[in-house]
Amino acid sequence: MTAEPMPRRWRDADGEHIDVRGLAPPQPLVAILRLVREQGDAGAAVIVHHDRDPLLLYAELAEIGWVAERIGAEPGEVRLRLTREP
Amino acid sequence: MRTAAGVFLGGAASRLLPASIPFRFFGAAVAFHLLAWLALLAGADRFPRYSAGLGWPLAALHLVTLGVLVMTGIGASLQLLPVATRQPVPSTRWPATIWWLYTPGVAAIALGMGRGMPVLLGAGAVAVGLALLAYAVLLANNLRGARGMPGVVAHGWAALGCLLVVLATAASLAFAYLGAPLLDRAAALALHVAFAAYGFMGLLALGMSYILVPMFALSAAPGERQSIASCALVVTALALAALAAFGVAPQPLRVVAIAIGGVAVALHLRLMRHALRTGMRRELGRSFTLVRIGWAALVASLLAALAVVLDAPLAGASTLFGLALVGGWLLSFVLGILQRILPFLASMHAPRGAKRSPTPSSLSSDRPLALHFFCHLAALAGLALAVIVDSPPIATAAAGVGALGAAAFGGFFLILLHRMRGSGPLPWPRAKPIA
Repeated sequence: MTAEPMPRRWRDADGEHIDVRGLAPPQPLVAILRLVREQGDAGAAVIVHHDRDPLLLYAELAEIGWVAERIGAEPGEVRLRLTREP
Repeated sequence: MRTAAGVFLGGAASRLLPASIPFRFFGAAVAFHLLAWLALLAGADRFPRYSAGLGWPLAALHLVTLGVLVMTGIGASLQLLPVATRQPVPSTRWPATIWWLYTPGVAAIALGMGRGMPVLLGAGAVAVGLALLAYAVLLANNLRGARGMPGVVAHGWAALGCLLVVLATAASLAFAYLGAPLLDRAAALALHVAFAAYGFMGLLALGMSYILVPMFALSAAPGERQSIASCALVVTALALAALAAFGVAPQPLRVVAIAIGGVAVALHLRLMRHALRTGMRRELGRSFTLVRIGWAALVASLLAALAVVLDAPLAGASTLFGLALVGGWLLSFVLGILQRILPFLASMHAPRGAKRSPTPSSLSSDRPLALHFFCHLAALAGLALAVIVDSPPIATAAAGVGALGAAAFGGFFLILLHRMRGSGPLPWPRAKPIA
């Protein structure tokens, strides 16, 4: 039904990375939440590379006990570090 | 800067309108919802065989269409379209001005219709017309700079075109009561009904569904080509209905228009079904039961339209058509979506200090929504029965039940605002966490 581009994913020392830049709503939201759910209870941090602030992500994260923290990024990029709520 | 539920909305806040903008539209819609049922209660004796003319049934209809559906459509599009088109609303002054013009205008129209006061009706129509023209300019500016989501944007443009037809025909119908019609009344009425319900409001509902349903179900965005094809079919059906309204082969063209509209709806529902089936979130609760009922009523409205066009021997067929279209489809859909989206918006806008920001489910309340759900369905079923057996007492009882449901929905909204402002818990059970 759809031929959306796929988000880019990779693992680094600081956690699981996902790059959702260029994806149309709600694809970034879906891809990020899918990755967060994959992390399970002892999940690693998820680093999100976005081209805009994900308006609807925060409420969804709160419902599943995760928090978002903005971290340094290149100009034009919004980079978030998502972790399970302490 | 750390957040739960979006404490950090730094740049996001720049694309989020201040809470007072969307919530004033949604709050007015909730109030007009209750007033619509009360107006219907006042005119229940005429409802089962109502066909046209000033009175409380007409006021109730417009309190639903203008007061609830369009009011919600404006609020939701101002909040959501910037997300879809990646174009911010340039100023908050415009939306606020639109609300201040539109809300009293709707009240004046309803009072003018209900009490049979054409001058008040005309004054209200002028205010509502100006407000909707201003909204059309805002919408056009946003769509013009849109990047991405061509299916949603196509629906937006088509809805905008329909809005202009609705405004022209509404002006003609309103000013006919003042002795100055602009168009033949029958043609204006036929155009007004089709372009308002299936055109402006219908296309906004279908277009926004391509954002909202995948967002709630957490599924892939529906295919753009199919959504644009569905939009094009709706526009074709409306164009044929317009020709029929001006007397060009009315019955055959209307039958073809309904058939094309049916294909458009089938295509749309196929995309929605796919989104719901493939989404990460399968349990969408009572709100999406209302949405599904709305979709069933949309199909039923087309069947009822066919019965009206073919002069089926069914007394009150045109009233049943209106009930399925406005009450069954548009109102059920909008109320289902509203109860889903309001807690999310409230969560984003809730004041945050040192406290953890609230989750959407902690801001919602289940019991008023459950009461509303059963009252809404009972009221619609009761009204349908009242039409079929031509019973004003059943219509009165149904309108009373509908008013009770609307009051319960109002209770949900007030509790949401109260919790959003961090005033502490109320003695209501909170909604289950969203699956």
